[in-house]
Amino acid sequence: MSDPSETRDGNAAPNASGAKPCVNCGCAGKGTGSRVNGDARRGFMFRFGAALLGVGGAIAAVPILGTLLAPARRQASAWVSLGSADAFPAGQTRFATFLNPIRQPTDGDAAKTACWVRCISPGKFQVFAVNCAHLGCPVRWFAQSRLFMCPCHGGAYYEDGSRAAGPPPRGLFEYPWKIDGGNLLIEAGHLPGLEQST
Amino acid sequence: MNQTSPSRLIGAAVDWVEARTGAIAFIAPLLTHHVPRNAKWWYVFGSATLMFFTIQIVTGVCLATLYAPSAAEAWESLRYIDEQVPFGWMLRALHGWSSNAMVVMMAIHMLQVFLHASYKFPRELNWVTGVFLLFTVLALAFTGQVMRWDQDAYWGLGIGASIADRIPVFGNQVRGLLLGGPIIGGETLSRFFALHVFVLPGAAIGLVGLHLALIMKNGISEMPKPGETVEPATYRERYEKRMEKDGVPFYPDAAQRDMVFCGACLVLLVVLAAVYGPFGPGGQPDPTLIDTNPRPDYPFLWIFGAVSLLPPASETAVMLVAPLVGVLVLVAVPFLSNAGERAPSRRPGMVLIASLAVMAIAALTWEGKTSPWSPVMDGWSALPTPGHFIDGRTPLQVQGANVFQFAQCRNCHSLDGLGGERGPALDAIATRMTPDQLMRQIQQGDGNMPAFGRNLDSAQMTALVSFLTTLRPDFEAPAMIPGAQLPLPVRSMPGEVTTPVAAGTR
Amino acid sequence: MSVLRVGFIVCAVVMCGASVLSTAACDRLPGRPAVEAVAAEGTAEWTTQVFNTSCRGCHAQGKEGSAVPLMDSEYWRAATDAQVVRAVLEGQGVLMPAFGPAAGGPFTPSQANALASGMRALWGGGLKPSTAISGTVQAGSADRGKSVFETACASCHGSAGSGGSAGSVTDPMYLRLISDQGLWTAVVAGRAALGSPAWNMPMPNRPSGLASAEVADVVAYLSSLRPRSASELKP
Repeated sequence: MSDPSETRDGNAAPNASGAKPCVNCGCAGKGTGSRVNGDARRGFMFRFGAALLGVGGAIAAVPILGTLLAPARRQASAWVSLGSADAFPAGQTRFATFLNPIRQPTDGDAAKTACWVRCISPGKFQVFAVNCAHLGCPVRWFAQSRLFMCPCHGGAYYEDGSRAAGPPPRGLFEYPWKIDGGNLLIEAGHLPGLEQST
Repeated sequence: MNQTSPSRLIGAAVDWVEARTGAIAFIAPLLTHHVPRNAKWWYVFGSATLMFFTIQIVTGVCLATLYAPSAAEAWESLRYIDEQVPFGWMLRALHGWSSNAMVVMMAIHMLQVFLHASYKFPRELNWVTGVFLLFTVLALAFTGQVMRWDQDAYWGLGIGASIADRIPVFGNQVRGLLLGGPIIGGETLSRFFALHVFVLPGAAIGLVGLHLALIMKNGISEMPKPGETVEPATYRERYEKRMEKDGVPFYPDAAQRDMVFCGACLVLLVVLAAVYGPFGPGGQPDPTLIDTNPRPDYPFLWIFGAVSLLPPASETAVMLVAPLVGVLVLVAVPFLSNAGERAPSRRPGMVLIASLAVMAIAALTWEGKTSPWSPVMDGWSALPTPGHFIDGRTPLQVQGANVFQFAQCRNCHSLDGLGGERGPALDAIATRMTPDQLMRQIQQGDGNMPAFGRNLDSAQMTALVSFLTTLRPDFEAPAMIPGAQLPLPVRSMPGEVTTPVAAGTR
Repeated sequence: MSVLRVGFIVCAVVMCGASVLSTAACDRLPGRPAVEAVAAEGTAEWTTQVFNTSCRGCHAQGKEGSAVPLMDSEYWRAATDAQVVRAVLEGQGVLMPAFGPAAGGPFTPSQANALASGMRALWGGGLKPSTAISGTVQAGSADRGKSVFETACASCHGSAGSGGSAGSVTDPMYLRLISDQGLWTAVVAGRAALGSPAWNMPMPNRPSGLASAEVADVVAYLSSLRPRSASELKP
């Protein structure tokens, strides 16, 4: 602060006229030349400090915003096995579970995921998410009436997943599937939902 | 030594602190400021809200010392608090009941302020900070429900995620930010924990401080009197004169009522907590256990109800726009009218709006609590057909009753008041629908009933309809085709014992 | 003034006492969450729980329920545990769903066993399955069964499918919904609460009921009337 070499006369213009009251002490502009130079120096120091804060803050903001906003990024889904395709008898709809391929060490049970597998005929499947297309509650399959029913708001779906009744705006969400080495694989990851932006 | 009596020592200590902090100089005017004499018991609800908030902070900090905010362990840690920690369950019960009580007190406080138009000049910002506090507290309640990390919490988050998903263009991104990842998991709980114990309480404390500072600045509003209007130009002067003339000091004149009311509230809270215990945790948060019936906590039941009663076509728009409109309207209240009459008797429209809002929320909460639109998921396998609907029926009709259970009709339709309420009760369906109409309804369904045409074969369908045609009270005629003098020749129904007779001849 | 003071002291003492008591009794307050006890498989409590959520919808007691009442002892006289286990796991006929793992149902074979013996213990009335007649359907002669039907059954169920006071049991739609085993159990166990006698109980034209061979014959007769395909069903 006291290093005179930092003073730059050229920057002292605003108060140099001496007509205005001094900001710091209200001494009616009767300050000496060094007072004027001091004001200029302090103004510069403030701006310099602000610039330093700005640079530092911008750098620090990268990890802050980065971690906060990272979850908005879409992650790639992955193929995951539901076990042997033969375990799903033709004409029936069965409950199956898998561990979500996108999971964190702290997820606990929450990484477990359920789905409904409908085997239309040998080698031909439909795999539905348990999440109701209305508000995501878990739908249950009733083999007798061949309906999926949702416990939350009474949505109902036919066995092919199409909407049968109630508030859902569409049919059940389906996972892409394939048979590999006799196993039924589905492509899973994100919590199923209305994915308009993908 | 000769002068050290205890009171002198204390006095000296107080003086010492006062000289260095100015605390008494700061607090004394707060306690002794003049408030309207006629305020009486109307003004105790804000204080009660503040008391419950204080309890939330104290019990919340204690809970944070016991709770494990990890998706793998949170649920277990709650069961540990409930079952092992001395007084742990009582701590959770106090926190849970106080949360509900705080929301209720806040709503009453807000309603009183709205009815008395205390938000008018110069207290517009008192109202605005109050609105922000309301939403902060509701956010605390929702994030608090997530802390339970049981099945209700998991699927409640799923509902939140599904609503976020409906946002145009950025739905998935917003959902990701809400959940802290692509699924409901460990980062979701950590995120909501940070909100529940750091961000939201911090915001609430700041807003409470601001709210109180504004009350000190603007004074407590006087009771409204018809004809005594608010004129922004002269209001402050008149208010100050009136307080000088017949105001009373906050302490002890008004504070005594706050004390008594808060004390009574606290005793009631302790009794509620001791008798009814903590909320949850419900079932283990394993999303593959789908035998669950997710319900939100009390403050959100009305939203849960509204969401299921909306017509599906308008749903997305209402879900996304209504909250914004709600916030805007609430914030705008004092700016739409900040002067003029304050008495409810001179503002019948406002009284009507408040009454409608209260009734709507109460009705929707009731609907959300009873949720008649939800199927009774085990109705078909748990609720037997009442005996008087079996007795005297033919073997085919009894098989029809079997089909009625088998096809899960009972999940949505009740008999003798037991069963789902999604569809109409069928105790007297035969007086309303002819066999042909029943057949058509079952085969084709309609907006709220699935079509069973593909799922029931002719024998099942025939038996079911034949059973349903027996569902009428004795001596009440079966449904006939309107205007028909004589029964039209209906398709002969095998197993039908009684022949149709014209309405009214029985 | 002194009244106020006394009142205050009384209040304070009462409140202190209450809080001390409640603190001491914290473990016994009604709000304390009960430690969750899951009923062990095979206990009466477990059987009742399972039955009430999964079976009772059709199999209740007395007049209640559309299928065989399992809470009455008459069925347990007519059926063996093995038969019940098979029905639970694999279903039976058209309208009894399979609850076993092969059908994606909730019960393991061991649970089905525990359920069957648990139900017998609760509602079987201490009776063993009858040795006079088999629990499962036996082969018989449809021709002989026709004459048995006309003499023994027609007085209530009507001659040649006309239905009578008890309604038709030869209705093709009815027969398509009930399996031979279902018919067998219906004849053997009856349903006393609804006025249907068990096989060996007095019937209007048969004071001593049916012989076991006659049961097989009449079931064979009814089975022969069952349409094999929908095209046989003429309106």
